[in-house]
Amino acid sequence: MPSSRILPEFELLLPESVAEAVKLLKKYKDKATVMAGGTDVIVSGTQGFATPYVISLAKVSELDYVKFSKSGGLRIGALATLQNVADTKEVKANYPALYKSAAINGTPQTRNMGTVVGNVMRASPSGDCACALLALDAKIVFQGPRGKREVAIDDFFIDYKKTDRKDDELAVEIKVPAPKKGVVSAFNRITRTTLDLSKVNAAVCLTVEKGVCKSVRIAMGAVAPKTIRLFESENLLKGQKISPSILEAISASIGGQLSPIDDVRSTAEYRRDVSAVLVRRTIEEAIA
Amino acid sequence: MSTSVVGKRIPKIDSKEKVLGTAEYAGDMRMKGMLYGKVVRCMEYAHARVKSIDFKEALKVPGVVKCLGPDDVTQKGYNTTIMKLLVPEEFCEVFGEIAEMYVFNKHVKYQGDAVCGVIAETEEAAERAAAKIKIKYEPLPVVMTAEESKKPGTFQFTKLKPGNLAGEFDERVFPGKAYGWPDAETGKMGDDLADECDLIVEGNFQVPKQKQCQMENHAYVALYDDRDKLHCWTSTQMPKPVQVLLAELFELPMSRMRVIQTVVGGGFGVRLGMIGEPHACAMAMAVPGRPVKVEFLREEDWLASETRFPGKYDMKMGFKKDGTPVFVEANFCAEKGGYYTHGNGPVFCAAAFVHGMYKWRSMRQRGQSYFTNVVPTGAYRGYGNPQTSFVQEQLIEEACYKLGLDPVEWRKKWHKSVGDETWLKGVTYASDGLDDCIDQATKAFKWYEKKKKYAKQKGKKRRGIGMAVMNHTSGAWPMLLEHTVCTAKLNEDCTVELMASISDLGTGGHTAMTQMAADTLGWPMEDIHLKSGDSDICGFDIGAHASRTVYCAGPAIIEACESVKKQLLERAAQLLEARVEDLEMNSKKVISVKGNPNKSIDARDITKQGVYNFFDPVSGKQIGIPGQIQGYSSFLANHCSPPFGACLSEVEVDTETGQVNVLELVNAHDIGRAIHPPSVEGQLEGGAQQGLGFVVSEDIYYDEKGLCLNNDFTDYKMPGPADMPQAKILLVESAPDPIAPMGAKSCGESALMGPIGSVANAIADAIGIRFYEAPITPERILKGIKESGKIFQ
Repeated sequence: MPSSRILPEFELLLPESVAEAVKLLKKYKDKATVMAGGTDVIVSGTQGFATPYVISLAKVSELDYVKFSKSGGLRIGALATLQNVADTKEVKANYPALYKSAAINGTPQTRNMGTVVGNVMRASPSGDCACALLALDAKIVFQGPRGKREVAIDDFFIDYKKTDRKDDELAVEIKVPAPKKGVVSAFNRITRTTLDLSKVNAAVCLTVEKGVCKSVRIAMGAVAPKTIRLFESENLLKGQKISPSILEAISASIGGQLSPIDDVRSTAEYRRDVSAVLVRRTIEEAIA
Repeated sequence: MSTSVVGKRIPKIDSKEKVLGTAEYAGDMRMKGMLYGKVVRCMEYAHARVKSIDFKEALKVPGVVKCLGPDDVTQKGYNTTIMKLLVPEEFCEVFGEIAEMYVFNKHVKYQGDAVCGVIAETEEAAERAAAKIKIKYEPLPVVMTAEESKKPGTFQFTKLKPGNLAGEFDERVFPGKAYGWPDAETGKMGDDLADECDLIVEGNFQVPKQKQCQMENHAYVALYDDRDKLHCWTSTQMPKPVQVLLAELFELPMSRMRVIQTVVGGGFGVRLGMIGEPHACAMAMAVPGRPVKVEFLREEDWLASETRFPGKYDMKMGFKKDGTPVFVEANFCAEKGGYYTHGNGPVFCAAAFVHGMYKWRSMRQRGQSYFTNVVPTGAYRGYGNPQTSFVQEQLIEEACYKLGLDPVEWRKKWHKSVGDETWLKGVTYASDGLDDCIDQATKAFKWYEKKKKYAKQKGKKRRGIGMAVMNHTSGAWPMLLEHTVCTAKLNEDCTVELMASISDLGTGGHTAMTQMAADTLGWPMEDIHLKSGDSDICGFDIGAHASRTVYCAGPAIIEACESVKKQLLERAAQLLEARVEDLEMNSKKVISVKGNPNKSIDARDITKQGVYNFFDPVSGKQIGIPGQIQGYSSFLANHCSPPFGACLSEVEVDTETGQVNVLELVNAHDIGRAIHPPSVEGQLEGGAQQGLGFVVSEDIYYDEKGLCLNNDFTDYKMPGPADMPQAKILLVESAPDPIAPMGAKSCGESALMGPIGSVANAIADAIGIRFYEAPITPERILKGIKESGKIFQ
């Protein structure tokens, strides 16, 4: 870790519309970093990360929104902060997994600055909102020189900090499907202290009819190079009545789907061991 | 006394400036013509030789004034520590102070060692230039553990310490290189008594490299002025000793070396001795006439300022069936870091606090420290005692469990008390409030109710309760030269200016000093002002450490104020034609003859006359008694009145994730008398937070190259406000110490110990597994549960 608080030199660009921002991205491509809240871009700047240009969305006020409709679902603009999302009562009512992932994210200070779209775009394997949104089957909307493009979040995370975003595209919005009848969700994480990054996180989204699981998405973070789906566990649960024995089977299935590492925050062994517990508890919380 | 302020819950004297943010810390200072200095540290290696330094590109950065390499500053070696100033010379030889640290180094002994410096017009220019300095290194093999360090053929850190054995208990002071006492009957020592025991408990423990994490980063401003005087504004804990060290390093008489302590944002031991003062001063010497500010980044704190002593701490205890303690035998082998700082101090003190706790028939403890390629170890709140709490209190609890004894009653029966030897051989306790601490704490905590309640618990989450007691010290007499000087100047209007180099690290020390002065004089607090920290005007004081301020500096304040009062009464007696012993002074400063209020004089008339109206220009006669009154004390402590304490805590362990939730903590402290109760409580609450960090979450991690992995708060995890349990602090005042000023024993460091031992015990109580490595992380707990084969349902 370097010992400097001076940011690398870069040119700060302040577009005032999406169109203007996209024009700048078309021009500078990977020489530009897009910044919304700055809680990651600025910190990584002090650690030596630098592109010659930083495109700040601070003045693109058209992206500052959280919108919800019963039929259309949730739309989160690129400038909506974690706190904005946590404060939106429809989020808390309809998407408990997303609500929790935003409400306990970082610290009060970073929640007031950092954005949900930014949390996903950074593609850190431990991103809390990224994990919740993967379970919730979100879509990411890009605006680029070739127009609009929607990407399912399943196709977005490619590898460690590598995503499907093209270098001339601006992520303008994240869409979460409208809540269907019987859909429940939950998010949980394990941290070292209360204010911390996740050493493991998990989110589930299930449709339950008469105690039977009709559909399920299970997502986990910090157990692989990217936020992942646990397909094997999902298949075990789908069409089944949710019972202690099926939960046990799911727990047993989890370890093999993970590729955790030892690092300063935890050990691979621990991550593997608690993942089973975390997923089980998250399912229990969702259906409670 | 009706005006008494001692023991009152009054606001701290510095609370307004702290709350409003107007208090000026060194980092806030701006001076005319001020330059910025950046210390360039070796970040790439933990052990390397500097092959070359190229300043060419750095000097081209606009605003750069000078770049300084190892040859451009003083070549004198130094040691950040001040042991040699604090102990008598013969002890100094034993501690073996080694002056082998340099302002800028050609041989890097840990990541973060300073290599060169840049001085520039702005902080930004200094940083940008620093990034452009090209340093070539020759990497050298890295030694990370005591085991590696002691191996033959390993790189030798200093010729003065063969085998890299930085410290051990010196034979000249510690026969058999051990501390303790023999069995009075047989003369046997330590585990030589093992045959006589019915139960032996032992453990090989590992204690962490914990960081102080004081809120204020280290910051300095230095100026070499046009009269060739060097000034250094610093956030140090000990301005006077630092003045001496800097004067020696820069070969200046003390009259030309001024140290000014700024408002200090927490110390906890990290600011004992010097840290960045040599660098700031060396840079200032290079640009005479212009102040230079050097401010550390938070990230530099882990790399360039000392930590707690980590290492392996082995302990063994023997008992009779009925619980009678027979022996304790221990060895603490610590990892020293790259330089000989603080000698073997905390390793000795770990043993000392074993010495002060229980009535063993014999105690024997040894200790060593070995050089390693990491940031040096030094002082951190508790100074060896937290390590002892983790080890000793766990083994006591285990022994009580195995013997079927109540650990509360066992501790009450076998702890040392009045007349027994304290942490230091030959020095005995003069007061003991531990039983009251234990009784009050167990009652407030509902210990026995909880014990019963949790005996038959089921489920995946388990509750546990644990206990620990501790002894500490009030100042470190006679190990350290406990000495504080205070001058009390009586102003013309009969208010008082106290001048003493007494540090307040945020502890409330200055408030307590002012309260003690106010009660001594019987005057309101607002009539007393304490001027501290400027070496130009303040007399000697060894600084704020070893929980000494109230106990060792307080008496200097009291004596100086008593002297002022005595001189006032003597003048009044002369003017009133009465005897001193017949006079009394009220809180309005009127001195009168007892029983004859008409025969009185206002003390303000005496002080004013003494300076302004002492001569009648018409008659030519003297009026009153001329001269300004000053009181003086050069106080030398003659005891260390150790306080005791008892701490109980409750935890919930999630047996599926290994997570520990500390739910409740009751800490009862044998304060004797609380001069400023809110400050004492603040000390005890803050200490609890650091104790919890030691036991559950804090440690510094390095990779195999010796590079630090968590020199920031992202990955060095202290418990935050949301992690703190409900903490109840009980101030036990039933045993005021007869030697202590106003009965007050210390509280600065004491709070950390109890939470460490008691939380470790509570975890073991909850799941029936004991942990020997701190911090007891969820990873270690889950692994422990797996290895034990225990099933929690």
